[in-house]
Amino acid sequence: MSDSVTSTSATITFPYKRSLGPVMSAFMTALTEQRLLGIRSGDRVICPPREWDPDTAADLSDTDLVEVGPAGTVESWCWVATPSSQHPLDHPFAFATIKLDGADTGLLHAVDAGSIDAMSTGMRVAPRWRGERKGHITDVEAFVPGESAEGGGGESAAEPVTMMEYNAAITYTTPITPNEVRAAAANAEGRFLGLRCPTCERIYLGGRGYCPVDSLPLGEEHEVDLPQRGTVTNFTIITPIQYPGQTETDPFARVHVLLDGVEVVVPYQALLDVPVGDVRIGMRVAAMWGDQPQSSGWTAVNLEGWMPTGEPDDDDPNLANRIC
Amino acid sequence: MAARARTSDDIAIIGWNISPMVRKTDKTEAQMLLEAITGAVGDAGITRREVDFTCAGSCDYVAGQAFSFVQNIDAVGAWPPKRDSHVEMDGTWALYEAWVRLLLGDIDVALATGSGRSSTADPNLIYPAEMDPYYLAPLGTDAMSFAALQARALIDSGAVTERQMADIAVRARRDAKGSDYAQVSGDFDADALLATDYVRAPLRKHDLPPITDGACAVVIARADKARELCENPVWITGFAHCSELHYPGMRDLRRADAITSAAKAAGVEEAPVEVAEIQTAFTHEEPLVSSALGLGADTAINPSGGPLAANPIMATGLVRVAEAARAVRDGGKHRTLAHSTSGPCLQQNIVCVMEGSD
Amino acid sequence: MAHQPCAIVGIGQTQHKSRRWDVSLGGMVREAARRALDDAEMDWSDIDAVVIGKAPDLFEGVMKPELYLTDALGATGKPMFRVHTAGSVGGTTGIVASHLVESGRHTRVLAVGYQKQSEGNAQFALGSGKGASLGAGGAFAPYMRGYIQRSGSPLDVGPMVAVKDRKNALKNPYAHLRIEDISLEKVKSSPMMWDPVRYLESCPSSDGAAAVVFTDEAGGRAAAAAGRAPAWILASAVRSEPSQFPGRDPVRPQGAVDCAADIYSQAGITNPREQLDCAELYVPFSWYEPMWLEAHGIAEVNGGWKMVESGETALDGDFPVNMSGGVLSSNPIGASGLLRFAEAAMQVRGTAGEHQVDGAKVAIAQAYGAAAQYFAMWIVASSLDPFAN
Repeated sequence: MSDSVTSTSATITFPYKRSLGPVMSAFMTALTEQRLLGIRSGDRVICPPREWDPDTAADLSDTDLVEVGPAGTVESWCWVATPSSQHPLDHPFAFATIKLDGADTGLLHAVDAGSIDAMSTGMRVAPRWRGERKGHITDVEAFVPGESAEGGGGESAAEPVTMMEYNAAITYTTPITPNEVRAAAANAEGRFLGLRCPTCERIYLGGRGYCPVDSLPLGEEHEVDLPQRGTVTNFTIITPIQYPGQTETDPFARVHVLLDGVEVVVPYQALLDVPVGDVRIGMRVAAMWGDQPQSSGWTAVNLEGWMPTGEPDDDDPNLANRIC
Repeated sequence: MAARARTSDDIAIIGWNISPMVRKTDKTEAQMLLEAITGAVGDAGITRREVDFTCAGSCDYVAGQAFSFVQNIDAVGAWPPKRDSHVEMDGTWALYEAWVRLLLGDIDVALATGSGRSSTADPNLIYPAEMDPYYLAPLGTDAMSFAALQARALIDSGAVTERQMADIAVRARRDAKGSDYAQVSGDFDADALLATDYVRAPLRKHDLPPITDGACAVVIARADKARELCENPVWITGFAHCSELHYPGMRDLRRADAITSAAKAAGVEEAPVEVAEIQTAFTHEEPLVSSALGLGADTAINPSGGPLAANPIMATGLVRVAEAARAVRDGGKHRTLAHSTSGPCLQQNIVCVMEGSD
Repeated sequence: MAHQPCAIVGIGQTQHKSRRWDVSLGGMVREAARRALDDAEMDWSDIDAVVIGKAPDLFEGVMKPELYLTDALGATGKPMFRVHTAGSVGGTTGIVASHLVESGRHTRVLAVGYQKQSEGNAQFALGSGKGASLGAGGAFAPYMRGYIQRSGSPLDVGPMVAVKDRKNALKNPYAHLRIEDISLEKVKSSPMMWDPVRYLESCPSSDGAAAVVFTDEAGGRAAAAAGRAPAWILASAVRSEPSQFPGRDPVRPQGAVDCAADIYSQAGITNPREQLDCAELYVPFSWYEPMWLEAHGIAEVNGGWKMVESGETALDGDFPVNMSGGVLSSNPIGASGLLRFAEAAMQVRGTAGEHQVDGAKVAIAQAYGAAAQYFAMWIVASSLDPFAN
């Protein structure tokens, strides 16, 4: 089955910016100074530090921070023979929990030991500092076997570090179902495919896999061709907010189109060649196909939009409520 | 054993369905669920209309889409509108919410689902996102690495050996030969497995679960309704969950106290357990989880093959419930349990104890 | 055994802002939870179970954050549960937590809802990072146009709702948007973002959290005896329906109608307009106030706008709606539903401060989500039998 699955892939890079709060801010700032901090809770020291005791949830404050390490003892470890794109090193390394001197819990970090044979539980390790540090857990490039910190130099942060960035890229491969494949093929020919539920006779846009009312799978045997003309039943005009991925700059319309002769509404469609001030309920429109067939979800993505036909408007007062 | 007398507040599993377990499906998650739900309500002898409450378990990060569960409502048959909920957790916790909902007494039948297409992306790139967002996720710490850290701690303490881990894989794959829902099965030789390279030392490939797309649906009912619909309801006699603190370096990885707490709250120790379906996706977890649950040598562990045979993320735990229920209803066992887990190094755990009618 | 009484004895929320860059994720949820525990005169160790709710994990880039936040919320060695039902999630979270008490599973349960929208970009995440999305305003705008058209509402009603909620927010010390010089003219002159919805008729994007402590009947009575008024849950319900099929009415969703009918039946309410004292409804865009008043049977069909126009829904009106300033004034999505539910409870406890409705004894709260297809509602009261006598 797996080899025959049609699919689409997209690499999504999620950009995040996190505020650290007082305790992690102090920890990250200390990293730029090549210092490692833990936090005292009762008679133990927790590293890495957080704003609460992990067992009791009692408040811990930045005044409870104490310096730990720099060297420590490996409590447990595993060997990463083939690092992922998100791992801190691009060659084989170990992840280890490291009880830093003066701390009572294990900090998880990478150990750059060169070879699995150099790793053992109980071994001593110390940080290898980056030359350029920004107040991030990877300011320690990795721990290395031995008692002495390595690397470093460069500048400490001039101001306390209060924020950190997190950018993780994940490539998702999503299957395109046989229904979607056929719907896209129809779109590429300038046809609109629908699926008629054999029980309730509702018609859905092609590509959908089932009737959500009767919970029945729909397939090729339920396909019907849909009309390519219709009437605008409702609309919105959107003033685009600029954010990563936004492709629009000027106000644009999205219209709902009720196809002629069937109870099928195509929602949130682009309207072509109509100034936003002229968009209105009742406009008669026809589908305009492009020449770039692709498939995604239930909507016809080869559809460039809808063009006014020039016919007189439909003045049915109930049109605005034909939304779904 | 003397089962406690059932009351009208008791709740039983009356039907279930497990989807085909495949490396990569050509179905959407909603389509997988649609078939699983149709199968489960059919197994219970009812229609969707007779389900009073539904609760789904799924995960946006596995699907790669925000609000991914919204499309899955299409599979439920929520028209007319239905009492419905969703947890961003394994379907076992969805079943827990459904079970609590039925305990209130005003409705009789509930459906829980779990679904996931693990094939959408590399788990090693997804799972760092569920770790501490400041100290762990930026290091790309993945689930396999955490499992390997725990395996090392257990091996170092003498709790398990690499040989025992290989034996567990051999047994699971052999047992899976009898399952319709296994992706990995067959006869293997432990020596041969041990001769293979480490994937993430001390874990080898046979210590790891497969990547699986799949879904599961389970129907439960209050006592009177269960008896009306079903000749042999599988009674839920205990259901509880418990969590460890998050950061694995702050825990003793040789212990699994949250599992023990959940087992105690679910009453596992009150009578012998004949079959335990446990979410041990990594071989070394089996002795730790079994021991934390208080199970003895006479309990059959994962006779279905378990997560080492098929691991549909977000449904893996609910499949354990279905398999443990099957052992009672179809396998003639009297008392079984299911366990599910989430998070690094068995952080979050749930235990469901089931008994037959006699 | 079934369905034992459940009381709310602690409520806390954070200061809501567009960017809470002074706190970490854990710090932010603890700020709300600590306040709720203080209000309940409890500590972390008094809590038996925690339920956390929030909307998409992609918004902050933390998958299944209940894992990371387990120990932040004192749930080490306890059950930690995570709910996600889109925009209604905060309401569902409160309901799931209350069920743990009502079913007799636990005695004291902490519910927390949060969103820290500033960590990521919600618009980006709504498109799952795959490109442009219409935004929630664009998605809901046709529904609101449908309402205006079918109800014959004057076009000023939306702006009137915005003015009222923004005035109420000035009385709520936790509200995000505080617009001192708010006026009808100011709302109407703000940019048309998703026609027919203007900028000042829309909700902000907020960082914030809300927390509620639930306890059993004995706990509620003990709080009352100690002079800390509890709110009692009279009824709760959820409903969901599919987003898109021919014949669905998204302007007056059947799920919204059914969900309200369910809680009225549970609470013994036959005339909601008379028997309820106030309502805190999920109104992220101004027109949703009259739409929900109708769908929930508080106003007659096509008559919701008349309640707005006549001033009935103002804080000093006959039927105050969104006393807190509502979602229009603070919108940490995952917390927004729980904030609605908590506000209703504050009203019947008499602890709402400057936005208190005099003598409020029975209040309704609602949250909705996705394409107006997920609903969570409850009714809370100052006693278990508010309609006696």
